[in-house]
Amino acid sequence: MKKTIQIPLGSQHISLLEPIRFKFECENERIIGVDADVGFVHRGVELACTRSFEFKQVGYVVARVCGLCAITHSLSYTLAVEKLLGYVANDRIKYLRMLMVELDRIHSHMLCLAHTAENAGFEALFMQIMGDRELVMEVQEAISGNRVQFDYISIGGVNRDLTSDLCDLIRKNLTILSEKMEILTGLFDNNWSLSLKYKGVGVLSLEDAYTYNALGPLARASGLATDVRAETSDFPYEALGYTMILESTGDIHARNFVRLREIVNSITMCQNIVDNLPIGEIQEKVKGKPKGEDIIRIEAPRGELFYLVRGNGTNMLERVRIKTPTFSGIPAMMEVFKGSQYADAPAILASFDPCMSCTAK
Amino acid sequence: MKFFTTFRKKSPWILHYNAGSCNGCDIEILASLAPKFDLERFGVINTGNPKQSDIFLVTGPVTYRSRERLVELYTQIPEPKVVVAVGSCTATGGVFRGMVNTEDGIDRYIPVDVYVPGCASSPQLIIDGLVKALEILEAKSKEIEKPFKLFGAIETIGNKLSRLNMAKKVHNDEN
Ligand code: SF4
Repeated sequence: MKKTIQIPLGSQHISLLEPIRFKFECENERIIGVDADVGFVHRGVELACTRSFEFKQVGYVVARVCGLCAITHSLSYTLAVEKLLGYVANDRIKYLRMLMVELDRIHSHMLCLAHTAENAGFEALFMQIMGDRELVMEVQEAISGNRVQFDYISIGGVNRDLTSDLCDLIRKNLTILSEKMEILTGLFDNNWSLSLKYKGVGVLSLEDAYTYNALGPLARASGLATDVRAETSDFPYEALGYTMILESTGDIHARNFVRLREIVNSITMCQNIVDNLPIGEIQEKVKGKPKGEDIIRIEAPRGELFYLVRGNGTNMLERVRIKTPTFSGIPAMMEVFKGSQYADAPAILASFDPCMSCTAK
Repeated sequence: MKFFTTFRKKSPWILHYNAGSCNGCDIEILASLAPKFDLERFGVINTGNPKQSDIFLVTGPVTYRSRERLVELYTQIPEPKVVVAVGSCTATGGVFRGMVNTEDGIDRYIPVDVYVPGCASSPQLIIDGLVKALEILEAKSKEIEKPFKLFGAIETIGNKLSRLNMAKKVHNDEN
């Protein structure tokens, strides 16, 4: 007699923001095998970047790979092309770009925290975090003109400058936000019913994180020290108060905590950027056509984002390759599901912060 | 029947499906459900079940693998239903127009009632679209609930029953 039952989750489900299908092999309530199908949103962006768009337009196209980390995508692409063109941005441009990336990280992490709370059954907490998140969205809208798809970065600079009014708004909102973060941190740390759902659930051990090549907050929650911000020198992160945040337990609680503390860290960095903004042009002329091949790595909210760009001296590129963090994280995710309860599956899934439109492109 | 009309008007439930979008519009839908914009004041709640939904919120150009599911979900929603296409790429294909694996918008597969523009469409626009959708939903439920008699009124010509005239009057008695 067959002892296991198969339970599907997805491709359309209340706990999923995006279409992904899991097939859980369950023994009573315990998951013993997982099968994931991630390709529902494959659109063919990589191919279109080399066929239908010129290299100057591609930066805005790759932003549409993912709405949550749109700025990281366009930044990675732009940096790769700028390297090929032999252009180095001045300090003001670098700072403004960093500011947007860090703001983006804050709102992405907050969305993930909210979603994890919702999937674990804490609807009120979801609402609370989403309410606080509006502070960052307001800032983003004021700086770039749009809430989600900013199209802020272009080749040779950024599209809008930071005025002193904006600086005041950023300072004000971020100060309020950091107070709210303290309340949230206390809540996540001390609330008893939250700890039932989060502590010791969905554990990824350090060895597994290493073996399965986990990235980003997922890896750092298990104690694996990997962060592109510390490994590359494209941006002056160290000077602006970056610290690597590590937890050791590797459960949902640890992942939430990595995100909470990274938000606090990003807030500090944003405040430092606004206080120490260098003077300079925000847009410079870049001449030439990309020729040759280059790679770039940027820390997206979910982990390392990798871009390869190859050009042949014409307006059209030869190859754009995007490797996204969720794609690398899938083996680790499958490992975590094994052995946990089926009822915890939505919360575990949300705690990975998977981004399917990144993965399938 | 009054019972259903009242509650449908006061609490239209939405079903959200991502047919290949970039997530930008999806997170804006989430944001509009959240306290600042508070879509829930219209009685809207996000359900995961097509059988309980009235409004179908779709984002994304239709990708090759999501089109069957899109149509399937649409057919599972009971009448009356309203389809809201959120985002430019849902309406026309947007940036994804002409890419290898996408179609140009969802209206090739299911009828759309409200198009919400913008890439990403802002919560204000989404709320506007939903309010519009509520009006359409009300009109549609009125249409459905109009009484009509299957066999028409009994008519006589001379002293005999006229079956021909009765058969002509299949539709509702107002027209
Ligand atoms: S309209 Fe733009 S932001 Fe919205 S899903 Fe489509 S590509 Fe993304």
